[in-house]
Amino acid sequence: MKLIHKVTRRLAMVVLPVLLLWATVFFFAMVSEVNDETDDSLDDYAEMIVRRVVAGDELPTPGDGSNNTYSIELLPPTEVYRDSKEFDDREVYLFWKKETEPARVLTRIFHDEDGIAYRLVVSTPTFERDDIIRAILIYIAIIYTVLLCTILAVTVVVFKYSMKPLYSLLRWLDGYRPGNGTDGFPNEETVYEFKKLTKAARETIERAENHLERQKQFIGNASHELQTPLAVLGNRIEWMMDNTSLTEEQFTELSKMRQSINRLVRLNRTLLLLSKIDNGHFLDRSNVDIVSIIENELEVYKEIFAEKELVCKVNVPQSFVVHMDEMLATTMVSNLIKNAFVHSPEGDTIEITISQGELSVSNSGDEALDATRLFDRFYTSGKTGSTGLGLALVKSIAGYYNWGVKYSFTGGKHRFAVTFEK
Amino acid sequence: MKLLIIEDDNSLREIMHRALTTEGYVVEVAPTYSDACDKIAGYSYDCILLDIMLPDGNGLKLLEQIKALDKNDRVIIISARDSLDDKIEGLDMGADDYLPKPFYMAELSARIKSVMRRGTGSVNKTMNAGNIALDLQSRCVTVEGNAVPLLKKEFDILLYFMQRPNHIIDKAVLAESVWGDHIDMVDNFQFVYAQIKNLRKKLADAGASQNIKAVYGFGYKFTETDL
Repeated sequence: MKLIHKVTRRLAMVVLPVLLLWATVFFFAMVSEVNDETDDSLDDYAEMIVRRVVAGDELPTPGDGSNNTYSIELLPPTEVYRDSKEFDDREVYLFWKKETEPARVLTRIFHDEDGIAYRLVVSTPTFERDDIIRAILIYIAIIYTVLLCTILAVTVVVFKYSMKPLYSLLRWLDGYRPGNGTDGFPNEETVYEFKKLTKAARETIERAENHLERQKQFIGNASHELQTPLAVLGNRIEWMMDNTSLTEEQFTELSKMRQSINRLVRLNRTLLLLSKIDNGHFLDRSNVDIVSIIENELEVYKEIFAEKELVCKVNVPQSFVVHMDEMLATTMVSNLIKNAFVHSPEGDTIEITISQGELSVSNSGDEALDATRLFDRFYTSGKTGSTGLGLALVKSIAGYYNWGVKYSFTGGKHRFAVTFEK
Repeated sequence: MKLLIIEDDNSLREIMHRALTTEGYVVEVAPTYSDACDKIAGYSYDCILLDIMLPDGNGLKLLEQIKALDKNDRVIIISARDSLDDKIEGLDMGADDYLPKPFYMAELSARIKSVMRRGTGSVNKTMNAGNIALDLQSRCVTVEGNAVPLLKKEFDILLYFMQRPNHIIDKAVLAESVWGDHIDMVDNFQFVYAQIKNLRKKLADAGASQNIKAVYGFGYKFTETDL
């Protein structure tokens, strides 16, 4: 979940009920204000009539423009009445409209100067008031929605603007690969928190880069330290073989030593290659035709493994071009094919297929291999001379280009597949 | 012919010195950068074997110096770093060859011969052993003037042997030199045997004075045919 979504959601969760509460309170306050106003005007109207009755003036005729109606009656003098005022809501028949309408009604009892009690009932229809309240409701709803949207929109904009340094840092980190250095690292910020974050990130990257640089140097130095004694050892053995008289037994021993040294040399070289790939040292890319590499490699392996009499079924298109380092392409294809040749029983069939952007090599086998460890460094099937690095190399190369490597075992066939994504 | 070995490792330097002296070269050695500077400035050599990782300086600087002095010395870089960048940089700076460590003396001596051949400006790119002549350019082999048709790998094998006459060559080492990394999991060298058998037959049929001889159970030697 993105931070902006989280912030917006949380803000909405707070603002929504608060605004709702505020809108409700506001609405009811408005309604009660409108009611008060209605009552006041009704009261004024009643007061006017009372004054006219008391003064003996002419009373207003009903339907004189206002929607107010009134009725007045003399109360029997047998009882004593106290002046009173009472508001209520009820249905009232409007004779000028000839129908009943909900109305606000004021019932007032008063006495004139002679002490005669009257009951005055004034009413005003509430449809006007209801109109106003409806209008208020609509406006509140509109304002409420607009306000909510505005708050959220402003938050998003302000957030995005303020968080710019964070996003530029994240973008930079996304594109970072070990060994790239700190080129294009976002500038130090003025905001305290971002300044700290950028500084911390920069320091971490610099430390990592430093580490990597030292590691590379270490690998270089270690290889130098290893290669020279290996050369010395190999050459001293060679010298003995060429220049001293040896028995066949001694000669055989020396020859075996030399083979072991050769194996060490290859191991050292492969480890160097692996660490180079892991450090992303292969930035050269060109269009490499995988099919022609397969053809070349097959020719060599067929020659080397001629006595195994293996059958190769090659099912590939005319060409299959991949944008990558040529040396790595050859190493990858060669290791896949070599693997199949080495582990195939005599007279077996090896299938090499390219389809739907996937190169697969399969050969027969008795049982499935441990797929979790198969691509690990130094995992071997016990075959002599195997460095246990061939498939690790394939995986490293594929991983370097973000391609998938799969192993499956179905119908007595091992199948190794590399999925190229262009 | 005078050679200079610039190499800091005592043991390796000693072996190189011994091997090349045996081959009949006049060999001088420089164990450090400063020694090498003095020697380069003071003397001329036919070929300089240059280790580019020296304790007191970078061998590539020495190469720069050699080229700046406008000397005609051939330079073969010997590096423990088997990196393409180093190789390209070295060759760009005017080195004649690049030999990654570890290497065998036979390989080194073959490279020196090859560089020297280029150095003398000789158009003759052929190698001779007895009555066998091998043309590197056209990849043709003749015995007493008669062409012997060889397959690609047979040619490579013969070339390897001719560069190392009288050395005992291990089957595995030969296979690795000719087939490269492809053979690193191979435990059966029948394919080498098959190739060598064909090659021997072709040479013998053509009446070559030298041929490949099996030594013990695992090696070969390129030597004069026993009559």
